[in-house]
Amino acid sequence: RRSRGVSTYCPRLVSVGSRGSLGSLSSSGAPSLSSAASDQLNVTTWSGNVTRSVEKPHGRNLFLQSLTEQEPNPSTSNGGNNSQKSVEDKDLVECLEKDVNFWTDYTKVQYHPQSLYEMYGSWTDFDKFDNFGTAREVVSEWSLMEEMNEKLRFFVEECDHIQGIQFIVDDSGGFSSIAATYLENIADDYTNTPVLLYCVRDPVTHGSSRNQRDTITRSLHDAVSLSKLSSFCSLMVPIGLPSLSQSSLSPFLSIQDAKPFHSSAISAAAIHSVTVPFRLQNAGPASNIAHSSGNIDMRELVHIISDQGRQNMVTALDVAMPAPSLKDGNDLWNMKSLRTLTPEISDEEEDPYSVESLVVHGVLRAGGHRASISQVKDSVYSAYEGRATKPKFSHLSVSPCPLPIPLPFPSIFRSHIGQHGEILSNHAEGTQPKGSLDVESIPMAARLRSSNAVLPFIERRSLSLQKFGVARGSLGTQILRDWGFGREEMEDMSEHLSKMVRAFHPEGGLTSDSD
Amino acid sequence: GGLVGGAGDIKLTKDGNTLLKEMQIQNPTAIMIARTAVAQDDTSGDGTTSTVLFIGELMKMSERCIEEGTHPRFLVDGFEVAKKATLEFLETFKTPVVIGDQPDREILKMVARTTLRTKLYEGLADQLTDIVVNAVLCIRQSDQPIDLFMVEIMHMRHKFDVDTRLIEGLVLDHGSRHPDMKRRAENCYILTANVSLEYEKSEINAGFFYSNAEQREKMVTAERRQVDERVQKIIELKNKVCAGTDKNFVVINQKGIDPPSLDLLARAGIIALRRAKRRNMERLVLACGGEAINSVEGMTEDCLGWAGLVYEHVLGEEKYTFVENVKNPHSCTILIKGPNDHTIAQIKDAVRDGLRSVKNTVEDEAVVLGAGAFEMAARKHLIDNVKKTVKGRAQLGVGAFADALLVIPKTLAENSGLDTQDVIVSLENEHDRGLVVGLNHNTGEPVDPEMEGIYDNYSVKRQIVNSGPIIASQLLLVDEVIRAGRNMRKPT
Repeated sequence: RRSRGVSTYCPRLVSVGSRGSLGSLSSSGAPSLSSAASDQLNVTTWSGNVTRSVEKPHGRNLFLQSLTEQEPNPSTSNGGNNSQKSVEDKDLVECLEKDVNFWTDYTKVQYHPQSLYEMYGSWTDFDKFDNFGTAREVVSEWSLMEEMNEKLRFFVEECDHIQGIQFIVDDSGGFSSIAATYLENIADDYTNTPVLLYCVRDPVTHGSSRNQRDTITRSLHDAVSLSKLSSFCSLMVPIGLPSLSQSSLSPFLSIQDAKPFHSSAISAAAIHSVTVPFRLQNAGPASNIAHSSGNIDMRELVHIISDQGRQNMVTALDVAMPAPSLKDGNDLWNMKSLRTLTPEISDEEEDPYSVESLVVHGVLRAGGHRASISQVKDSVYSAYEGRATKPKFSHLSVSPCPLPIPLPFPSIFRSHIGQHGEILSNHAEGTQPKGSLDVESIPMAARLRSSNAVLPFIERRSLSLQKFGVARGSLGTQILRDWGFGREEMEDMSEHLSKMVRAFHPEGGLTSDSD
Repeated sequence: GGLVGGAGDIKLTKDGNTLLKEMQIQNPTAIMIARTAVAQDDTSGDGTTSTVLFIGELMKMSERCIEEGTHPRFLVDGFEVAKKATLEFLETFKTPVVIGDQPDREILKMVARTTLRTKLYEGLADQLTDIVVNAVLCIRQSDQPIDLFMVEIMHMRHKFDVDTRLIEGLVLDHGSRHPDMKRRAENCYILTANVSLEYEKSEINAGFFYSNAEQREKMVTAERRQVDERVQKIIELKNKVCAGTDKNFVVINQKGIDPPSLDLLARAGIIALRRAKRRNMERLVLACGGEAINSVEGMTEDCLGWAGLVYEHVLGEEKYTFVENVKNPHSCTILIKGPNDHTIAQIKDAVRDGLRSVKNTVEDEAVVLGAGAFEMAARKHLIDNVKKTVKGRAQLGVGAFADALLVIPKTLAENSGLDTQDVIVSLENEHDRGLVVGLNHNTGEPVDPEMEGIYDNYSVKRQIVNSGPIIASQLLLVDEVIRAGRNMRKPT
């Protein structure tokens, strides 16, 4: 389970990227060597000539520099000090909107030296690392996969008890293949450990196809990706709308689709919220202690979502960002405030076999105070009661702590979002979106949902694979062959996806209650 | 060369393969050449640089001929003839080596040293020579190909220049996780296990929602008992085999061990490590004997291996466990010590190449005189004997091939700051007199490689001679193919 250590706040993280993807951050996690240090390089092992090949160093943007700068001397005059600091913060915010080229440009986390891994030896343009087949070379490089496995083993060995593994991948390109192999190794080595897989894409990768071959390649890629990745995880959560700026999130959030810095913040907040129950003290899912209610661990969550009735493990992720406040009186929680981040799913709400896990935290009530746990629970339960078709099973987790919005969170909140995430009715028409300087925290609600709403997502991929890959004379057979798949494997994948579709039809797929 | 990455990471290497892997190559021709070179490394473990140089020189020689009006096809045909002839020549030129049960250690050392000296300065290279030869001979089992994975290469950052050494046994990169477990033990039974010794919620339990903490505790206790029983069986075995002796008991487990289990084991005087690398399970059995168990049912003394010494070594935040003084080890560890990451990496690369060259020699049962001697001799053979048997312009291809072979001794000369022309001329003279010599890169004088103990791998040479012309031919014929394509599209 990835969690923070005790004395050093170092996440238990293994990050895998291509060569050069760390930008200005060294793979040891330490701030990069100054160029002076590398000039003084002492070569003690060779007495002949040494040629130096120096890659142009990636500069550290203002934000990163501010992390290592010394604290300014405390000034006796409070007022002067504060205003100076807020000017600096404003510059940092601006810098982050303009000067972000790598994900490391906006991270202030201290990484463990074993965490960051750059793959070597894949000599392709990064732009062309865009489908399942392009990673064949990387994946068959045994020592690469071994190093990745080793890094994971290092962190797992430290754990007295491993709750589970969370795996995040951008499965729009070659990394899908790498993830599939990595996950297979994890399934081998950590057989009973739950694996929660998030497939996250950003609007940038959703570009339009250039020609027919491109379309077929993309469709096949999506199908293969679904089949391979779902085989080796306990729950799979596809995240990534083709456009966030024009989605149902836009009334509250102003997002520029072209900036991964923006879109990743949404995914990160949603994933954070949905996993809050894992990180709070576990005293049993039905217990009710002061600071939270309904905490469960990963295994329990997997069991709730995928083992009840329908054998489906593809889960939609919905989010209310910010979550609405409770009004006075017997207020029904506004379920409609939850907007989905999972692409290609239907608006289907009336599924008697659906199962969901809802996490609500930091909710406010009228007057701006934090609502109590029981108030929130009552409100949510009433909302469930009020639905025409209730889910077969739902789990609720409540906590009063909101999502903090510190630097370097991007400025994506519309001007009618208040300092604590409340919706202001009476506000000036500001055009500048708000960020960490104006919004301190927001209440959040996030939901993992297994229902027939995800059927279109699965069905489309299943049909693509049949039509373009398996059917006699199909155009994509050669593409699949180039990716290294033989006839038998193509048929296996196709059958696998068909099986996933069948789980949604009442005649097949439903098992009796497993408890 | 030294490579400095975009974040200031430094990598030092003399290894062509490493260089290629670190570079971001865009040019398609370069990519083709690089792939061949890396494949070379995969097959024979060395010769990457030589292959790239050879291909480059073949192209250079070809360019000259083409400029003078020779059609590429003739060159390609000539390459084919020259390649075949050179490979045949290699068969007669090579020096057979006695391997069998008692391999010729001296030759193995010479090959290792030759390889290591191309990657590290002499003093360090010579230090590592014995280590590398001993490592390969240690893991070698008769009638089986040598599996170099059985030589683990580990590293420790060490401020002082303490020597790299060979451990006949294992070094694990973690320690026991219990404060009461002994840090050093002699005369140890080793239990290699792949058994879960941590509490895991069962499937049945997972669906059970508790209404209070007490109920949950009851469930947990009941399930815990299963794990405790497994631990107990191990403790029973330990008591049985160690009772009344000064023997110790070490458990090295591929799966997890949770704190309550660690407690039980510690109290029983057992040292236990968890989540060991899978590969180490095999190596432990090879090094210490016994067999890896997947279940605690039916464990006997026969399952256990033995090691004379097990101890923990702490270096800063890192812990290592050494398992040494084993009988008949067929697995070993080379522990590299260096002051910083890039020094360590360079030594690691060199050691890998050294191991590879010894393995190749054992498997080839032959070596080839080095220092450019083979290339000079092969060239002479091609020019004196082979060229005239070829009809027509293909002769030029043979000549180009022969001249391209010179790139090896030329490069040796260049690297030593010598005048390449002088060197080649003097070497040619010696060969004309019937002396098979190579280049002494210190003096620039011809030298008898046999006297100096300079040997290369047979399979590496084979691979270079084989793959170089294949790529060069493909590149030369690209124009041909394009032209043919154009012709095919022309209306008839």
